[in-house]
Amino acid sequence: MTVWTPTDDGYADLSSHDAFANGAPHNTFARLRREDPLHWTEYEGGRNFWSVTRYEDITVMNKNTEVFSSARGIRMEDQSYEEYLARRTFQETDPPEHSKVRMKLLKAFSKTTMAQYEQDIRGLCADILDQALAKGEFDATKEIARQLPMRMLGRVVGLPEEDLPWLVEKGDALIANTDPDFTSHVLDKMQTDEFRMMPFNSPAGAELYVYAKELMEEKARRGDTSGVLNLILEPAKDGSVITETEFRNFFCLLVAAGNDTTRYSIAAGIQAMCHQPELLAQMQEGGAVWETAADEIIRWATPALYFRRTATRDVEMHGKTIREGDKVLYWFSSANRDEGYFDDPFHVNLHRSPNRHLSFGQFGPHVCLGMWLARLEVTVLFQELAKRIKSIEAAGPHKFLRSNFVGGIKELPVRVEAA
Amino acid sequence: MQVTWKLPGGGAVTAAVDYGQSLMEAALAHDVPGVVGECGGCLACATCHVYVDPEWAAKCGAAGEFEDAMLDLAEERRETSRLSCQIEVHPDLDGLVLEVPEA
Repeated sequence: MTVWTPTDDGYADLSSHDAFANGAPHNTFARLRREDPLHWTEYEGGRNFWSVTRYEDITVMNKNTEVFSSARGIRMEDQSYEEYLARRTFQETDPPEHSKVRMKLLKAFSKTTMAQYEQDIRGLCADILDQALAKGEFDATKEIARQLPMRMLGRVVGLPEEDLPWLVEKGDALIANTDPDFTSHVLDKMQTDEFRMMPFNSPAGAELYVYAKELMEEKARRGDTSGVLNLILEPAKDGSVITETEFRNFFCLLVAAGNDTTRYSIAAGIQAMCHQPELLAQMQEGGAVWETAADEIIRWATPALYFRRTATRDVEMHGKTIREGDKVLYWFSSANRDEGYFDDPFHVNLHRSPNRHLSFGQFGPHVCLGMWLARLEVTVLFQELAKRIKSIEAAGPHKFLRSNFVGGIKELPVRVEAA
Repeated sequence: MQVTWKLPGGGAVTAAVDYGQSLMEAALAHDVPGVVGECGGCLACATCHVYVDPEWAAKCGAAGEFEDAMLDLAEERRETSRLSCQIEVHPDLDGLVLEVPEA
């Protein structure tokens, strides 16, 4: 299917998924950062919203959860209160409620816990790369980037290997719910409201609900209480437990968010290697570059293009008034290319340090739970890739996901010469 | 006022810092390696972990309940461990010495 993709003339419609079909509209973001850093974006599909595009603004606002709340939805689409309750996870809550759930999970996703997976990841990378590179010419998103996070999800969450391809397909249908390559229920073109109570307003959410339920029943029968999923079922310090709906939403979040973000970081890194051939040599030199490379690749990728907050009271900013109840979008994708903060932001510099990018939603309580796993996967994947090749180049144009929420290269034809 | 961060593997950063910010923010302003502060001081990440020189411990106060729980997730927690986002720069801390943990 051909999608009409406009070129970015500096005035792209940020509410349109098509405006992101050639990658994030960076000309528009650059103009907004310069001329209109708090931009009132018209939104045909719902209530209009504010777009915040400067790095400094986002870092200040993101920690101010009393004024900019997550508890009324985190995407630009409007939700009724009923839909919000049915679909929310701890992502859609504020402290202190948010902290209670997060506390239970932090240990399982901590840097120390994740470091124990390094050998596992290296083994998986070897396996994945040996198969892909033998082909010489292939789609790097499909053959490499998609494979590693999917298989790690199985290990970290404790899911049977044979279920993983099905789960990832469903996860894609959830989170890439605006790209016709990933779902037959394209969010902004859907004629039904049948799935509005399901995660991501997607029929795949319903299937994952059933899967999660059966999986936990099966685990209970075996007396198996290991893994991340059981951690979240534990009562909090004050004795509160999460509801069944919240649990199933959390499961969907793990399957969806735990997957495509790292996939698109890896894909963006490989695309950068094709575009800036010096990166491979820097990687092959090794040493200190590995302390900084993953963060630069993840900055370059910015898979989570934005998250939304809702103002809980009127606030003045840049000579304008954000009204109580207004939606406010933090465009991490723009902040990560802010020339007012980063030197030469459109260039991949694997030695960039410090690199306080916002790809993980830093400077706020919702900073990505999986960031240590993501960094480790990206580091190890590129270490293993750099060892195995003499050169890598584009073998055709790459294609982006049709989404203004997830920034990702969904097709990345490359040609490699094995070392 | 002055704060010194002793770095793992030797070396130190000594800087004049402003009142009214946290020691994590002060560390970021002076690019102290190893103090990252990824959650911006929201007690969600433990990446601004430091050891407070015992001489200064009383002046810095004790960790609160949430901070204490977060410190359990930090690598190499010691008795002198604190999250530096939870300590505000104030005149009593002039000359403070902190140690940055091994990465």
